[in-house]
Amino acid sequence: MLAALRAAPGPASAAWVQEELGCALAYTTVVTILTRLLAKGAVTRERAGRSFVWTPTADQADLAALRMRKVLDGEQDRQAVLASFVTGLLPQDERMLRELLDQAGEAEE
Amino acid sequence: MGVFVFLPLVLPLTAWPVARLAEQHLHPRTATWLLSAAAGVLALCSTLCLALLVVVGTAQLPGNPLPDGWSDPEVRAAVPYDEVAGKAAIAALILVLGSCARAVRRHRGVRVRARRALEGLPAGPVAVLPDGVAYAYALPGRRPRIVVSSGMLGTLTAAERRALFAHERSHLARRHHRFLLAVQLAARANPFLRPLRTAVSYTTERWADEEAAQAVGSRRTVALAIGRAALVSAGTPGVGHAGLAGFGGSAGLAGFATAGPVPRRVAALLAPAPAGRVWPPVFTAVGLAAWGAAAGTAASALSSANSAVTLFLILHAATPL
Repeated sequence: MLAALRAAPGPASAAWVQEELGCALAYTTVVTILTRLLAKGAVTRERAGRSFVWTPTADQADLAALRMRKVLDGEQDRQAVLASFVTGLLPQDERMLRELLDQAGEAEE
Repeated sequence: MGVFVFLPLVLPLTAWPVARLAEQHLHPRTATWLLSAAAGVLALCSTLCLALLVVVGTAQLPGNPLPDGWSDPEVRAAVPYDEVAGKAAIAALILVLGSCARAVRRHRGVRVRARRALEGLPAGPVAVLPDGVAYAYALPGRRPRIVVSSGMLGTLTAAERRALFAHERSHLARRHHRFLLAVQLAARANPFLRPLRTAVSYTTERWADEEAAQAVGSRRTVALAIGRAALVSAGTPGVGHAGLAGFGGSAGLAGFATAGPVPRRVAALLAPAPAGRVWPPVFTAVGLAAWGAAAGTAASALSSANSAVTLFLILHAATPL
């Protein structure tokens, strides 16, 4: 249901969702599920004419991720500002790192 | 004041040996404090001397607002090569101040934009973002937060995740961002201090690694977490090859002389824990280097103080009352 809503180009009506899901559910069932999702905070609804249109809210986190990526990609010298867990690898680092991890793995066994 | 006014501009060179040796021979906490303090003092002294030269240089410019007496031959005699040095210092000081202002503005900008990006998420010390790209950051501020992508968490085991969070918590608890900002400004105040900035950005990571190792009780787990995270991040755009230039190397880690920071961190964690002593013994390479840097820093402070007092007295005498 949420996947169908996310696939929608904008706020979608319950009828649109029902159609998208392929008629396996009755219209009233779709509305009931949407209302339950609303109670959980996973969707929001707005009145549009006589019925409601529904939007998923789970995108808050997705939106935050997009915005954060923008910050990280846009800032060339972000290492100087935000301490990152790992910095980039130099060309020869990868092989060296794999050898080290292999050694660490063998030490375990 | 004579040549003393120029000394603080080149004395940062005395900190190069310790910047090179500290990361392998000192506890990362000691190294971070030592290098940051030296960088801060050396940068302040260097900038003060630049400002003194600017005063002498500006007084020679036609139409300057300074008292006429300040361009007297007695004042100019206080600075060797006063004409060239004075004018060069004006340009240098403008560059330094502009560059530092830009750095502070950008530092603030990134923090504000990162904070704004997280708006709308439930409040808490950790923000997990649904993103396939592996990254993890410590976001300092009044309500410090750890930002980590689901891509990063997905590549780590439960123990490694604990190591990751312990690492980031250490960054926040020890306020590593302040050290990083301080050395960044210092490196902009005097380019000779750049190796110290590179060294401190490494030693803060090592410091957080060591604290994480203590928190999770296994150096190996932290090493594996770093290695795995780095290998996953390496293939993703955005994280890229923005690594810091590798430098340094010792007998035990000779193979890593040219390696980037990540393999050196992993190797250090797979080696025994560093000794926690505060100051290295004198008759070792790193001990001599540390004392050399301390002496250079003291000389820089004395030179700039001497220059400032001398110039003050000369200008005081040259100002008609």
